[in-house]
Amino acid sequence: MNKPLRIALTKGRLEKDTVKLLESLGYDCTQLHEKGRKLILYVPDANLEVVLAKAADVITYVEHGVCDMGVVGKDTLMEMNGKLFELVNLGFGKCKFALATKKDYPFYDGFGVKTIASKYPNVTRNFFEGKNMDVDIVKIEGSVELAPLLDLADGIVDIVETGTTLKENGLEVVEDIAQISARLIVNTVSLKMRQQEIESFVQKVEEKLNDEKNCM
Amino acid sequence: MRRYDLITPEGTRDYLFDECYVKRATEKKIHSIFKRMGYAELITPGLEFYDVFNLNSRYFPQEELYKLTDNKGRLLVLRPDSTMPIARVVATRLKDAMLPLRLFYNQPVYRFEPSLKGRSDEIVQTGIELLGSSSRMADMEIISAAVSVLSSVDVNYSLELGDVGIFRELMHRLNATPGQKEEIRSLIEEKNYPALNDLLDQMGDNKITNALKKLPTLFGGVEVFEKASALFQDARIEMILDNLKELYLEVCELNQNGKITVDLGLVNKTDYYTGLVIKGYLEGCGEEVLSGGRYDKLLSEFGYDIPAVGMAVNVDAVAGASAKLEKPQIKVPDVLISAVEGCEAQAVAVAEELRREGQVVEHALFSDLELVREYARDRKIGKIIFVSEEGMEVDANE
Repeated sequence: MNKPLRIALTKGRLEKDTVKLLESLGYDCTQLHEKGRKLILYVPDANLEVVLAKAADVITYVEHGVCDMGVVGKDTLMEMNGKLFELVNLGFGKCKFALATKKDYPFYDGFGVKTIASKYPNVTRNFFEGKNMDVDIVKIEGSVELAPLLDLADGIVDIVETGTTLKENGLEVVEDIAQISARLIVNTVSLKMRQQEIESFVQKVEEKLNDEKNCM
Repeated sequence: MRRYDLITPEGTRDYLFDECYVKRATEKKIHSIFKRMGYAELITPGLEFYDVFNLNSRYFPQEELYKLTDNKGRLLVLRPDSTMPIARVVATRLKDAMLPLRLFYNQPVYRFEPSLKGRSDEIVQTGIELLGSSSRMADMEIISAAVSVLSSVDVNYSLELGDVGIFRELMHRLNATPGQKEEIRSLIEEKNYPALNDLLDQMGDNKITNALKKLPTLFGGVEVFEKASALFQDARIEMILDNLKELYLEVCELNQNGKITVDLGLVNKTDYYTGLVIKGYLEGCGEEVLSGGRYDKLLSEFGYDIPAVGMAVNVDAVAGASAKLEKPQIKVPDVLISAVEGCEAQAVAVAEELRREGQVVEHALFSDLELVREYARDRKIGKIIFVSEEGMEVDANE
C-alpha cells in the first residue's frame, strides 16, 4: 500500500465533526474514538493518518508539508495567513468575526484613535486598514469581553457564535467582519505530488457535503 | 544592555562541515549543468538601491525587504531576488552585447519571512537567465535545464508548467475594479474554490466568470488541455493553450523518469512573468524548490525592451533533499606528518611532494609522539610519517 495521506485535525469540536464526516463516508474510525492520549492515529480503510493538533499548529504542519491536509477554522486561517491551498468549505464550525462594543456605545463618533482588544491582532489590523482607520490594538489572551467593560478598549474583535456572552455582559455587535467555518486545507506540494489520492478524497467529501445540503 | 555576540540573527545560520559540503557539492553539480548549456556566471552586489525593486509594477512588498541607507541617506536593500539586478545589468552594461545572453548566478537572497515559522531569511539561489529571445526553443531550453537539475537529485520529482497569459487574457476582459481583480488572483493562487465561486457569482454568470471559476481546478496531466479548450472559446487563449500543450508533450517525451504536470492556476503575486511559468517539486520538500518563467516586459522597465526567460533553484532545499539520501563523505586526510623540532621545513617539503601527487596531508602539531598517534587514531588517518634529522620513517596507523 502507498504511504498514507496525513491529515491534521484541530482538536476539540472540529475534530469531532470531522470524525463524523469521515464515518459518514464509510471509514472505520475506531482508533479515533479510542484514542486515549495518542496524537497520531490511523484510519485503515482510507489509508489516512490522522494527527491531532491545536488549530494554529494544523496550519504550521500543513504549510511545512509534514501533513498533507488539515481541517482548521477560517478564523485561524485569517489570523495566520499561511501559504497553502484552501480547497473545501466544510460548512461545520460556523460562527463569525465581529466588532462589538458596549451597548449603544458611539464607536465611530469623535476624532480620537480607538483602542481595540482582540485575540486576533492580524484580523483586527486588516479590518481597520481596509477602513483606512488607525487603531491601537491590544492583544488579550482570555475573555476579551472584559477589556471594554474595564475601559481598557473601545471595542473588541472576536468570534461570535450565538452572541449570548456578549449580551450577558452588556455588549453588542456593531459590525460583522467575516463568516467563519471549518476548511479543508492542503499543502501546495502535496496537492501536486499526490493529486489523484487527494482529489478523490476531496471529491468524496464534497459529494457528501452536497448530499447533506440537499437533504436540508 | 543585552548582547547578541554569540548567536546569529533569526532566519540565518552557520553551515558546518557536512552541511557546507553538501551545499557546495549541490552548487557544483547544478553549475556544471548550466555551464554545459553555455551559461556564464555573473555576480551582482548584495546591496542594491531600493529603486531597482520598486518598479511601476511593484513586485516586492516593502515589508519583506531588508533595508538600510548609504552614506548619502539613500535607501538600499539586501537583494531579495537576483533576476531584477541582472535585468539592470543587462539593460545597462550589456546593452550592446550580442543576443541572446546566457547568464547564471549563485548568490543569497534576503527576505523577511514571518518569524517563528522555521524559514530562512537568507537563501542561496542559483539560476539561469536567457535574454533576448522569445522563441519556443528558449522556453524549452529553460525547461530542460530545470529537468536536469531536478533529476540530479535521487528522489521523486515533479515539474509543473503553466502560462499566466490565460489568466491575464481573462482578467483583461473582466469588468472589475483593481481591488476585486487582486482578490480574484489571490483566491485562484490559494485554490480557494468556495470563496472564489462566491465572489464571481456576484459578478454575474458569463463565460469569463465561469472560466475563472474553473481556472484553479485545471491542473494535472494532459487531460487538462481538453477540459480547458472546452471552457475557453477564445482565439488568443486557444493559441496560448496549443503552444503550452505542444511544449508539454515535447517535455514529456524528453523526460521519462519524473512527473511532468500542468497547472493553469499558477498566478503568483510577486511575479513579473508574462507567459510560461514553471515550478519544480521534490518529494519530501514542503515548498517548491525551483521556479521560473518568461518575463518579456521586465527589461523594458529598465529601458531595454527585450524578451527573457529564466529560472531559479533554492540551493538549500535541494541540498537538504540530497543530504537525507546519504551521509556526505568528507575526505579524511591520507597522511599525517610529524616533525621533530628543527625539521619543520623538511616536513613541509615532504608534505608538498605528497600533495602534488594528490594526497591530503596534514601536519601533526604535537611534540609527544604518543599524542600524534592518538590524534591519527581519532581522526582515522591511515598513515603517519615521522620526519627527523635522520630522515623519514613511515608508520601505518591502525
